[in-house]
Amino acid sequence: MEQLLQHLVNGLVLGGTYALLGIGLTLIFGLMSVVNFAHGEFYTLGAYAAFAALALAGLPFFAALLAAIAAGALLGALCERTLLRPLRGHSIDTIMLVMIGVWIAMQNAELLAWGGVARSIPHPFPTAPLTLGPLNIAPLRLFVVLTAAALIGLAWLLIQKTRLGTAMRATFQDRDTAALMGVPIGKIHTVTFAFGSALAAAAGALLGPVFLAYPSMGDLASLKAFSVVILGGLGNLAGATLGGLLLGVAEELGAGYVSSGYRDAVGFVAIILVLLFRPAGLFARAERIG
Amino acid sequence: MCKRLISTALVGLVALALLPAGGGAQSSAPIKIGVIEPLSGPVAASGNYVRMGAEIARDWVNARGGVNGRKIELQIEDNKSDPKEAASAAEKLIVRDKVPAIMGAWGSSMTLAAMPKLEEYGVPMVVETSSAASVTKRGNPWVFRISPPSEMEALGLEQYVDKLGVKKVDFLAVNTDWGRGSIQAFGDMLRRKGVQVGAAEFMEQSATDMNAQLTKIKQTGGDTLFLTTAVEQITLVLKQGQEQRLARKIVTTGGSSSPTQLIKQAGAAAEGSYHIVFFMPWFPEAMPDGRLAKAFVDEWTKRGNPFEGLTEGFRGHDGIATIVEAVKLAGRDEPKAIQEALWKVSITGVNGPIKFEKDGPAGKESGQSKPSIFIVQVRDGKVALPDFLKK
Amino acid sequence: MIARAAVALGAVAAVAAPLWVANPYHLHVLIMAGIFTILALSLNLLLGYTGQLSLGHAAFFGIGAYTSALLALRLSWSFWLALPAAALASGLAGWAIGRLALKLRGAYFVLVTISFAGVISLVSINWMDLTNGPLGLPGVPPPTLGPWTLRTKTAYWYLVLAGAALSYLVCHRLVTSRIGRALVALRDNEPLAESVGIDGTRYLVLAAVISAAMAGVAGSLYAHYTRFVSPEVFLFSYTVTMVIMVIAGGQGTLAGPVVGALLFTALPEALREAVAWQWQMLAYGVVLVLFVFFLPRGLVPALAAWRRR
Repeated sequence: MEQLLQHLVNGLVLGGTYALLGIGLTLIFGLMSVVNFAHGEFYTLGAYAAFAALALAGLPFFAALLAAIAAGALLGALCERTLLRPLRGHSIDTIMLVMIGVWIAMQNAELLAWGGVARSIPHPFPTAPLTLGPLNIAPLRLFVVLTAAALIGLAWLLIQKTRLGTAMRATFQDRDTAALMGVPIGKIHTVTFAFGSALAAAAGALLGPVFLAYPSMGDLASLKAFSVVILGGLGNLAGATLGGLLLGVAEELGAGYVSSGYRDAVGFVAIILVLLFRPAGLFARAERIG
Repeated sequence: MCKRLISTALVGLVALALLPAGGGAQSSAPIKIGVIEPLSGPVAASGNYVRMGAEIARDWVNARGGVNGRKIELQIEDNKSDPKEAASAAEKLIVRDKVPAIMGAWGSSMTLAAMPKLEEYGVPMVVETSSAASVTKRGNPWVFRISPPSEMEALGLEQYVDKLGVKKVDFLAVNTDWGRGSIQAFGDMLRRKGVQVGAAEFMEQSATDMNAQLTKIKQTGGDTLFLTTAVEQITLVLKQGQEQRLARKIVTTGGSSSPTQLIKQAGAAAEGSYHIVFFMPWFPEAMPDGRLAKAFVDEWTKRGNPFEGLTEGFRGHDGIATIVEAVKLAGRDEPKAIQEALWKVSITGVNGPIKFEKDGPAGKESGQSKPSIFIVQVRDGKVALPDFLKK
Repeated sequence: MIARAAVALGAVAAVAAPLWVANPYHLHVLIMAGIFTILALSLNLLLGYTGQLSLGHAAFFGIGAYTSALLALRLSWSFWLALPAAALASGLAGWAIGRLALKLRGAYFVLVTISFAGVISLVSINWMDLTNGPLGLPGVPPPTLGPWTLRTKTAYWYLVLAGAALSYLVCHRLVTSRIGRALVALRDNEPLAESVGIDGTRYLVLAAVISAAMAGVAGSLYAHYTRFVSPEVFLFSYTVTMVIMVIAGGQGTLAGPVVGALLFTALPEALREAVAWQWQMLAYGVVLVLFVFFLPRGLVPALAAWRRR
């Protein structure tokens, strides 16, 4: 029983971070229809930005988090302006191919800049775990989960309650009408991509200290993010959040009770089963955007 | 206009690749030695450390006047952690660059993929890291390995098992040929010594969360955990083990644990852990050739290479040193002559004596050296000889 | 006219390759390009003609490679039996995907293909008794034809060339047949096609089976050439490479995948030549971005448009 509880707790912590990755991508993939294979690279960027801020510049932890978010937003905006905007109107596969190129370029640029050695990102939390009965949880992980939840909440607020959010939703629901209503379509696209990338960078800055920062850390992150987005329904923030949590828990339970070697397989099989019975994702009945 | 320019450039790039290779060798031209390592991809750090060690060997040899009056040059190829690329790299080195000998290719599956090319063209390769038993058992007479297979490593630890006080053991290894081979070899050895074997768990090479496996291991009631994986995952396992209050003796195998890096990144979680290594850069004087080892450490540090890379970098040095000695004995840089000369090599590298014995099916034996194996411990945040060895 | 001449020239060059190619290494690159041509053609069937993206295509490649290798190693089957068996095994997997994903389109189909490939990859790593796991299967025998062993590159080149030509023919026949037209109709407007009685799912499954079987053939050819099969054949990077070849070459055309395969097999090798190892992969990424930027519809359609001007 204790083992089960510990697995559940681990799964929720992991899932929280999957959720954060997922909501960034659900905006980019779900709303903008960009198959962003480079999403994981913004995650990596966030981790390295945090490393640079903490280990090299000696900034406090929150400042490092902000630095990572800023880096993600800036590079995301740049990407959108220089690569995606000129290619808008081309097929989804063409855009996917460009993002594959960006993925390869970014990862190898990071390898060149930082070397292949994994970097440990220092953090201000004590390493001794908090013990609640039979459960152990590290303070850092608890912080990560809480911050992720806060960021998800902020994202939801932005999308649902602000004018910018309304403009975003309008643009992706019906572009021409939105344009007629005076919404600056180009700017909205840039902001959306930047926002999604910033969220990925935030996830990287949060998870970097938990694990390690190394150039290929984004590959698995991209894959998990896509799974979460599709499970939860494209463009569905709540769906991505729940989907992320569920994936995390499923993986932990699978690794704990089935086999550690087949850990990722559990996630995959779960996805296949879900899509077999609910072809439009877990939360198909929920509103398409937000 | 722009489109034509780019298209032309692309065509030009392809044409460049199809150009015939450069001119023939002259007697004073440098001797080229091929090096195949993973320089990009998930294990890029290790591949680069080996490359750095090889470069030190090259510079030392050239400073002493080279071999047979000629300088040596390293032709370095990236196998991108992919067996298909390792085979392509070997082909290119042999056919285009006409190297008479190669060192590589780090991972066992990359080495195995390149081996058929060695036989096809008759070029010897010195294997510096791979640990799978099959590398020297496939009946490929062009393979010479200076790194220990897992069985040899396990034998090296056998004498310390009682002193370590191991009664019941669990295994946690990376899900590759190396991790699996290690569990097999150490499991057999420990069972022979009467030790009970509990759980054997695996983790994917790219996995970062091992909590599930650790939770399972906690339940077995064992007293020791044998860990076989790269230093990044060891760091994560130690940290997560600490988070779960897994109070166990830890022994890492495979020689890639880089205890210095562990101390830096895992901190207190690494305290007390034991590590099987093949080079002890913290006390180089204790190595079989203390002066060479110390000189290597000094040169490495002088070049600004990270200290934690030494536990792998020495392999690059020893591999090149072995090839250079064979070229010297052969008197010429011709592949068949070098292969024959490799059997006569008897030098002392940074790790220790290098001398090849026959291994594998009769008539087509590969060469296997018997490298030295050491065990160290992390105590008080520093690397030291294990407590049971101190007199 | 020019196109026909170019094709004829290309065919002659291909058949005479061992004569004019500078050295065995280049022949090696050509052989790999040939194998990837078959893979690109197979992926193009799904992506270009049904509009469904399969990002698990490496799974069919890998299943073919393992099937062929295991049959040859464990049961001593001849290559000429192992190859069709590999195609059959992959085709079956393609059928399974087709049936599984029958209600799914677009992103959902993609995800199922990725998940399927992920599961197969993990099985190959963990099912030690069958596949020998990460240790791989070394020593896969080369094909024999009567008294001769097709071990030399020249012999293997003709084998691969025959395979590629056959694949191209199959694709050509398929695409120009009624089935092909149905597939295109489904790709362009599925509800409309269904309204005239075209069963979307049946045709999708058919395309998936043929596509997968073809990839299986490529896998078998790969296994008997490199003579070493390990779980790395399921690497996502192989799928990504195939996708690049199809899209950059020109999806929905027949020449596109061929050109794409040649170009993107030669490119990494050219970079190995032209650029120091530290910059190779970065250069590859940059070249790819530039390529897509200036030739967004792919090389073959761009050439066709350029000629028409």
